Amino acid sequence: MLINTVILFLRDALPIFVLVVYLYVHLQASKYWLALCFIVGAFLNLIYINQIHVIGQWFDGRGIELSLWLSQLFVYLLALILGHRLVYSASSYRYFLYWVAGLMVSLTLVSKGSNFILYFDGYLNQNNVLQSMLLGTFLGLGICFSLATLLYLAAKWLKQQLGPWATWSLILVYVTGQLVNSLPLLVQVDFIDESATAWNSQNFVSNEFEFGHLFSVLFGYQASPSIVQVIVYTLALLMPLAIFYWLNLNSTSHSGNKQ
Amino acid sequence: MIRPIQPIIPVKKLFVITTLAFSLFCHPLLAAVVEYHIQLRNHLFFPSQITIPANKKVKLVIDNQDNTPEEFDSFSLNRDKVIFANNKASIFIGPLEPGKYDFFGEYNPNTARGTVIVEHQKQESPDVN
Repeated sequence: MLINTVILFLRDALPIFVLVVYLYVHLQASKYWLALCFIVGAFLNLIYINQIHVIGQWFDGRGIELSLWLSQLFVYLLALILGHRLVYSASSYRYFLYWVAGLMVSLTLVSKGSNFILYFDGYLNQNNVLQSMLLGTFLGLGICFSLATLLYLAAKWLKQQLGPWATWSLILVYVTGQLVNSLPLLVQVDFIDESATAWNSQNFVSNEFEFGHLFSVLFGYQASPSIVQVIVYTLALLMPLAIFYWLNLNSTSHSGNKQ
Repeated sequence: MIRPIQPIIPVKKLFVITTLAFSLFCHPLLAAVVEYHIQLRNHLFFPSQITIPANKKVKLVIDNQDNTPEEFDSFSLNRDKVIFANNKASIFIGPLEPGKYDFFGEYNPNTARGTVIVEHQKQESPDVN
């Protein structure tokens, strides 16, 4: 139970920590914003968990997978809005960006946090598990906080060296990874067909081990991804980068012409 | 005089395109697949080994008879599904290459463990959806 709890934290809590840290550095957000995100996210999470049996019955039993995948897609699209606002920066959009980022955190809390509630709700009532679960929670939270601190320092340094595009790129890599990792949800409920495996690096870095979990959270690492996942990953990562680079060049040349 | 509005795409063409799109994208929803049933009792999978045919999509129906939820998880199958207490859940797997694919219950990984064995088969299971 101890190890399970730690692994659950690595798999489901770490993505929340990583996203919060990236957004916190990217937007130079306040602590009030952070607190508000967690309150709204926790509230939405409770509603989702409360209705999860109903949602599970939607679309012939495919409701949970579809809702989780849609939330990842929505988080990805919201990250694109953050990128778009970097091209056309305006001070009046500052609060709008806080809303966008807040929604991203809240949706991630719903999709990742629901697993926690199910786990703790199901097992806390059992005898002899409370101690190991609490210990696992402290260990898991410790690992998440340590990694989040390291990422915070790294992201801050990158932003100082390369500007806000660097932190936005980190966010894009993260959301792309999460989006691609949610594709098997559609395959497992037979919404899309399984495609052939692109490669197998289980012997190199397995998804079962700590580094596999960490890389999966940071950039969507899969030891045996399907060809569809590789294609979607490449397109979802490179297309926004290319489009925003081109838009940035255009807006710079336009502002240069006006002067 | 008002001229009737001509549709950009003729209705017949639209029908053909829609039918083609439906048959392409909804093909997995309509295809018949073989079902395999697994029970979860006292945090153990029964049977803990199932053999399925190679290169075919199959449906695993997992019946959680415990009073606690469990998460069916497999790194090699790339599957991850919560099964509520005293509930059933379905997961589609395959087409797969011959080999062994381990799965486990994420909340009880020490006890709830199993293997999907994929091999070339001549006969199919009679339990067809």
